Amino acid sequence: MPWTLVFEQLLNGVQLGVTLFLMAAGLTLVLGIMNLVNLAHGSLYMVGAYLTLAAAQWTGSYAAGVVLGLAGTLLVGMLVEVVTLRALYDRDHLDQVLATFGLILFFNELVSMLWGRASLYAQLPPSLRGHVELFAGSSYPMYRLAVIFVGLFIAILLWYVVTRTRLGMLIRAGASNRTMVAALGVNIRLLYTVVFGFGAVLAGLAGLMAGPIYSVQPGMGELILIQVFVVIVIGGIGSVRGALVGALIVGIVDTLGRAFLKPMLGSMISPTAAEAAGPALASMLIYLLMAIVLALRPAGLFPARG
Amino acid sequence: MKTRLVLWAIAVLALVALPPVMTAIGQTFYIDLVRRIMILAIAAVSLNLILGYGGMVSFGHAAYLGIGAYAVGILGFYGVTSGWLQWATAIGASALVALAIGAVSIRTSGIYFIMITLAFTQMLYYLGISLEVFGGDDGMRLKSRSQFAGLVDLGDPIAFYYVALALMLLAVFFVYRLVNSRFGMVLRAAKSNEARARAIGFSPYPYRLAAFVIAGAMCGLAGALYANHTSYIVPGLMSWQQSGDIMFMVILGGMASTAGPVLGTFALLIVEELLKGWTEHWQVILGPLLVLSVIFFRRGLAGMFYKPDA
Amino acid sequence: MLEVRGLTKNFGALRATDNIDFDVAEGETHAVIGPNGAGKTTFISQLAGNLRPDAGSVRFAGEDVTRLPAHARARKGLARSFQITSVFPDFSALHNVALAVQAQLGSGGFWRPAHRDPALLEPARALLEEVGLGARLNALAANMSHGEHRQLEVAMALATRPRLLLLDEPMAGMGTEESQRMIELLQKLKQTRTIILVEHDMDAVFRLADRISVLVYGRVIATGKPEEIRVNQEVRRAYLGEDD
Repeated sequence: MPWTLVFEQLLNGVQLGVTLFLMAAGLTLVLGIMNLVNLAHGSLYMVGAYLTLAAAQWTGSYAAGVVLGLAGTLLVGMLVEVVTLRALYDRDHLDQVLATFGLILFFNELVSMLWGRASLYAQLPPSLRGHVELFAGSSYPMYRLAVIFVGLFIAILLWYVVTRTRLGMLIRAGASNRTMVAALGVNIRLLYTVVFGFGAVLAGLAGLMAGPIYSVQPGMGELILIQVFVVIVIGGIGSVRGALVGALIVGIVDTLGRAFLKPMLGSMISPTAAEAAGPALASMLIYLLMAIVLALRPAGLFPARG
Repeated sequence: MKTRLVLWAIAVLALVALPPVMTAIGQTFYIDLVRRIMILAIAAVSLNLILGYGGMVSFGHAAYLGIGAYAVGILGFYGVTSGWLQWATAIGASALVALAIGAVSIRTSGIYFIMITLAFTQMLYYLGISLEVFGGDDGMRLKSRSQFAGLVDLGDPIAFYYVALALMLLAVFFVYRLVNSRFGMVLRAAKSNEARARAIGFSPYPYRLAAFVIAGAMCGLAGALYANHTSYIVPGLMSWQQSGDIMFMVILGGMASTAGPVLGTFALLIVEELLKGWTEHWQVILGPLLVLSVIFFRRGLAGMFYKPDA
Repeated sequence: MLEVRGLTKNFGALRATDNIDFDVAEGETHAVIGPNGAGKTTFISQLAGNLRPDAGSVRFAGEDVTRLPAHARARKGLARSFQITSVFPDFSALHNVALAVQAQLGSGGFWRPAHRDPALLEPARALLEEVGLGARLNALAANMSHGEHRQLEVAMALATRPRLLLLDEPMAGMGTEESQRMIELLQKLKQTRTIILVEHDMDAVFRLADRISVLVYGRVIATGKPEEIRVNQEVRRAYLGEDD
């Protein structure tokens, strides 16, 4: 087993994990604090990708594209919160699931109307187009490395905010006991709006960074959303730490599984059988992992509520 | 109670009369449409058992639609065309998978249950895509319809229509008897107040698991029917979008009611047909419509006709 | 009938139940009183099986039930009512009790309609008459008053043909008239049953109890007949503060 190949795939796994974390952090906080299931979180991811792509083409500058894309995603997120989600805070999970499902249909179709159904190609920013030689013989795309760094930076930033600031204290308290926080006189509406806005920006960031790596197409949000759910179930609802650990685990397991399960199986059973079973098993890997974690720890690894 | 029976009788008569009427005026397209609606109504009725009456928000119910369809497709692929064998396999396979998924998932509740059922269904969807031998992402064509030698020819659209109608009515009746039996009472009590149910001596788990398996099996039958209807089987049948659709059929119609899922299926699919005729981008209208219906329309259509079963 | 030894339950650093020994004889009505926060509901929950103790044992009718979950203890005859009303809101009063009856008779039926089954409805009707709700058989539980919910809960507890009734604050939230009715009902019931009564309403406690245990900070500080407890110094101190 060529170790450079393994290391590359490991880095790819971390990169996927970091993308998942950005999505999971926002979603788990919204779920933990506002008790809101928001399936349309994936749509914000998609909106981030599309808006950045469009803005970059329009202004000719990647940086401007990023800024406009993030601002646009924040705006869309706020609009969704005010128009739809406000009416859902008091409803049960089933209603929230169904309503946000309707939002998904809407956004996917809207995006198709504006930019067509075919997948678009997002340009790599000129400064990040090359490869980096990590150690002898291995070259890794600079862009992916940049994604990893941004993700880890955000993770540290979030850690700082959540554990060291007043706002973070409110967030942790809210995730652990919502009614108590409201009873203490905290402006709950404002807290909700801030948390949701945070989550929207993170999702948009994940989307715009993912653009050049995966394809930009209608429905891209839902593909990643289910993996995000797996992350949250494994990590525990309401916990940012759980989101990070869960995301890295899922990202690495999924990537390594897809890369190495088929050849590994091929050396154990016949290559033709491995050809069929390999990809099938690889795609099921993270769900099996989720089932195992749940059997041992039904509330996830780091549940926010004791 | 009497009014309900009368309404049902009218509805059944209308459905029975539809094919000859439509053939007479040359609009056979509607026979196809209503047949499709009735087949999906069976799926909705099965979901209503666990969702409406059992309170289990399973976001992965479309999995069984897919399993049932693929059972027919795969058996047909290998030359087994006996309808009895195919449909029995569809039901049996769905029941087994429901047992496996349910055994793990039903131990959880609330938001975890929703996400887990969703995740497991997605896992099956990816499995379906990765099996290249059965068409992978593009799906597979059904070479021939399920054969029920001598009994009925599913190739005859009108005969198939009546088979679907009969099975739909059977499904509705079966669920009706089930939810009013002692078994059903425990299921509904556990939904109404789980702590209370435990306090009087019921452990909800076995009842919920049994209901989950029954619902899965019934949906598998719907899948087998659907495969015969479209003659083309795609993994998309197992997607979560499909699951969401079925959930909407149950909710729109009114949960925990006998007629609800049927009404909801008709309503949703007819609205879809109307919108499709209007614009290619019909989902951009359907989406907000669904959102509004959830926010404002809590009791569903059946709630407008009569109170849901106590 | 009930034998509790060394029952202990901690929530983190908080010792909610502190090494409690507790006995209830058959046919006895034993009240558990104590100031708020004494851990009464935690104690009851461990007796009923809703909470697992960290240490200690619970023996019911000679059998060790410490590890048994709530629904299994209910089947053995240990019935509980809840401090916060807990009935089936979507069902009528009759069907609420019918469900409790069904729990005793068996739930194997998949086919026959249970909501018309006389084997379930007749006993339910009788029980509702016994607790004074004979006129409200078909009322939806969600539409019934608080006091009626309490009566309904007693009916449901009785339906399980309990050998031991655990009543967690049955008087809570009741007006004077409703309380009187409940006390009369309990006086009637205590003649044929063993009851553990957790209550704040001292009128009810002193009229109904054969023995009283006083719970303070998770510990039983006194057990005895009502007259003894009334004059007990420690009890007075716990309730009325440190004044001599």
